[in-house]
Amino acid sequence: MPIAAAPRRRAALPAGLLALSLALWAACGPAGEPAPSGEGAAAGPRRGGTIVVGTITDIETFNELLDTSSRAFHDVGYQMFLHLLDEQPDFTEHPPSFAPELATSWEWSDDHLALTFHLREDAVWSDGVPVTAEDVRFTWEAQTSPEVAWDGAYTKESIEDVEVVAPHTVVFRFSRVSPTQLLDALEGVVLPKHAWGKLPFSEWRRNADFFRENLVVAGPYRLERWTPQQEIVLVRNERYFDPEQPYLDRVIFRIIPEKSNQVTQLLTGDLHLVEQIPRTALPRVRASERVRVEAFWHRSYAFILWNLEDPRFSEAEVRRALTLAIDRQQMVDTLWGDLGRVATSAIVHHVWAHDDSIEPMPYDPARARELLAAAGWRDRDGDGVIEKDGVPFAFDLVANQGNQERIDAVVMAQEQLRRVGIDARPRMLEFNAMAQSLTEGSFEAMIFAWAMPTTLDLRYAFHSSEIGAGSNFSRYSSPEVDRLIEEMERLPEIAQAEPILLQLQQLLHRDQPMTLLWESQRVNGVSRRLHGLDANVLSTVWFLRRWWLEPAG
Amino acid sequence: MIALVLRRLAAALLLLYLVLTATFFLIHLAPGDPTVLLAGDRINPTVAERLRTVYGLDRPLREQYLTWLRSVVIEGDWGVSLHNGRPVVDLLAGALPATALLAFSALLVQYAVGLPLGVAAARRRGAPADGAIRVISLLLYSMPLFWLGLMAILLFAYAWPVLPPSHMRAVGAGELGPWARLADLLLHLALPALTLGLSLAGGTVRFVRNRMIEILEEDYIRTARAKGLSERRVVWVHALRNALVPVVQLLGLSIPFLLNGSLIVEVVFSWPGLGRTAFQAIVARDFPVILAATAFTAALVVAGNLLADLLHAAVDPRVRRA
Repeated sequence: MPIAAAPRRRAALPAGLLALSLALWAACGPAGEPAPSGEGAAAGPRRGGTIVVGTITDIETFNELLDTSSRAFHDVGYQMFLHLLDEQPDFTEHPPSFAPELATSWEWSDDHLALTFHLREDAVWSDGVPVTAEDVRFTWEAQTSPEVAWDGAYTKESIEDVEVVAPHTVVFRFSRVSPTQLLDALEGVVLPKHAWGKLPFSEWRRNADFFRENLVVAGPYRLERWTPQQEIVLVRNERYFDPEQPYLDRVIFRIIPEKSNQVTQLLTGDLHLVEQIPRTALPRVRASERVRVEAFWHRSYAFILWNLEDPRFSEAEVRRALTLAIDRQQMVDTLWGDLGRVATSAIVHHVWAHDDSIEPMPYDPARARELLAAAGWRDRDGDGVIEKDGVPFAFDLVANQGNQERIDAVVMAQEQLRRVGIDARPRMLEFNAMAQSLTEGSFEAMIFAWAMPTTLDLRYAFHSSEIGAGSNFSRYSSPEVDRLIEEMERLPEIAQAEPILLQLQQLLHRDQPMTLLWESQRVNGVSRRLHGLDANVLSTVWFLRRWWLEPAG
Repeated sequence: MIALVLRRLAAALLLLYLVLTATFFLIHLAPGDPTVLLAGDRINPTVAERLRTVYGLDRPLREQYLTWLRSVVIEGDWGVSLHNGRPVVDLLAGALPATALLAFSALLVQYAVGLPLGVAAARRRGAPADGAIRVISLLLYSMPLFWLGLMAILLFAYAWPVLPPSHMRAVGAGELGPWARLADLLLHLALPALTLGLSLAGGTVRFVRNRMIEILEEDYIRTARAKGLSERRVVWVHALRNALVPVVQLLGLSIPFLLNGSLIVEVVFSWPGLGRTAFQAIVARDFPVILAATAFTAALVVAGNLLADLLHAAVDPRVRRA
């Protein structure tokens, strides 16, 4: 089951579980209807039209708090439900800014522990009931209920109360100051209390149909029809507060689990958008008159996790040697071509706080052998594998089945590590089994990836308190890093954290708790008639309400 | 005959119980845990723990088994999907018609193609036509189903776009009249049913051919020919009737292959069937759905075997007397 990098700001496991070879495309000719001239784009946005979007997974629920696969809900759900403010994907030069959504303005108390939102008064649910501060409080209650067990509940840990002070004014009260306060308050869409408050929280996980049957929305689109495993049809919500947008009348998400089938339908004109075109299919898509290609850097990065509790990986010098022994540039060239680059930091290169001064460690097997020898690893019995205290440097390097890039990378790493006398045995695990060995810490080394959270939170992956309880899967522990992360968490604004973030990136580069492999671009195939996408690191469909369709012919 | 049916039914129920119990323990003992995927992007252990409590997965396995058994056997309640919170029975019932339609159509294709080709090859044994049929059937039999599906899409939906490559209905089919809707459905059914049916037909051709060759050499066929019957009558009436006995059995036994195949075809052609539902449940370790889907498929397979035996008894008097 594919899990895609979620558009929400929390970290996510990128997908790619369905990766069938598309090499067979080379043999076939295009179907060829006349393509639009493209001249209509100059005329600017126009209202009306229906588009069809290909998607791999079906929506599982219409309640964000019960969603498990992130991707499907976010693409569809964020068109129906709204946040208080809309996080903008503009964090290249500075921390993300926010656009008004259900709230028009917000202000902090002097001690930075109370955050007041003023809600817009013209927002109503699709049944005509106004959106109020009561809905905001109800949402917080649901988000933090153990019976609902929302996977994002941790973002609400520092929120002590959400107080309704007037029908359209709500105050979030925090227990501590932190740079993520605003994002923590904004996490999660606002839910309809009058419609969903009727069902006790204890029933939520057993009654998914209730939320579909009682679906009222406040966003630009509402649900017209859902046929499980087939399609989700959204139509313009006439009660959405913005009279101008959305432009499109109807958006149909067609569920097509097979990627190459999606690409076929993009090329025949049956689909207007296919996300994440496989690299092997790119030449065909680029050659099409009907489709244009839009590429953008994503937030995700791939790496090899070393299990630092394993004595072989516990020394930083040895981990540096491992990184030096892996030809990451060759990996990027082979797997991604011009769509990838070697990753150098847990804060990806196009984000404002990225440390540009970190150069990727070179591929230098000779230096790697020296470092390993200095740490006591030598091939004493002449079998080609180095040993220390009689223990050979041999381990399983795990990747998940179906993710072809990672499997290829594991095989390349095996070959390269062999040249310095390390025996890395590729081992493919089914995703769920792999996830279990991650959380249990029963792996030796594993190739993995996730999407950087836009909060620039580094705690979940690198703070020692997250070992066993969070996502510090390499079990990395450094008092210096812990202290800096804690120091950063006491700042009221993330913008003030830049010096600390730079320092943290240097320390992580020095300690190499993981060997960073690549960052890659996402490539979407888009009908030339469709305009205004502005696909971004949050999500391709983030700005769906601004998309518009040029008339055919 | 009634005693035979009752005996077989009792054995079938016992078998079902054993299959389900074994599945229950196997999926719980296999690595991976439903809460890992449920716990969201970061595989957060704290959330996973909460979910285990919510779904009762933190209780001893024996207790979980007894609870599940009691709810299924006594209350007839198969539970709720851990993954999407919908009743398991609704999920499967929603997916069943699509799979039944696909499987039945594929079965038609399988026999409509397999029988005549098998007979034709047997009649022309050793001739170029026989060779061609054997090569084609071997190709169909050995080609991976997903690849056959992708090729079919490339040929008939892209290079020569005459058939839709996915889904049961076209965009906007809801507004069509009843006949146009039926035509739309049949168009959408064409590629998946042909892919699955042809892939299964490969084996049927070879089976029928071999059986017919044996039969055509038997004494009674020589007698029929000596009586001066037309070759067509000899082959299609006298020989084929006997060749059909094992073919009928094969029909019952081919249900597992049909279900297996429909899983792959459902994924390739975005067909909303049981196979996809079961596959997603397995990946997500959605225990209630896996168990109900297993029960359903196991029941179908057992019923298929039973039917094969009964049909065999119907066409072969020796079995009835035994």
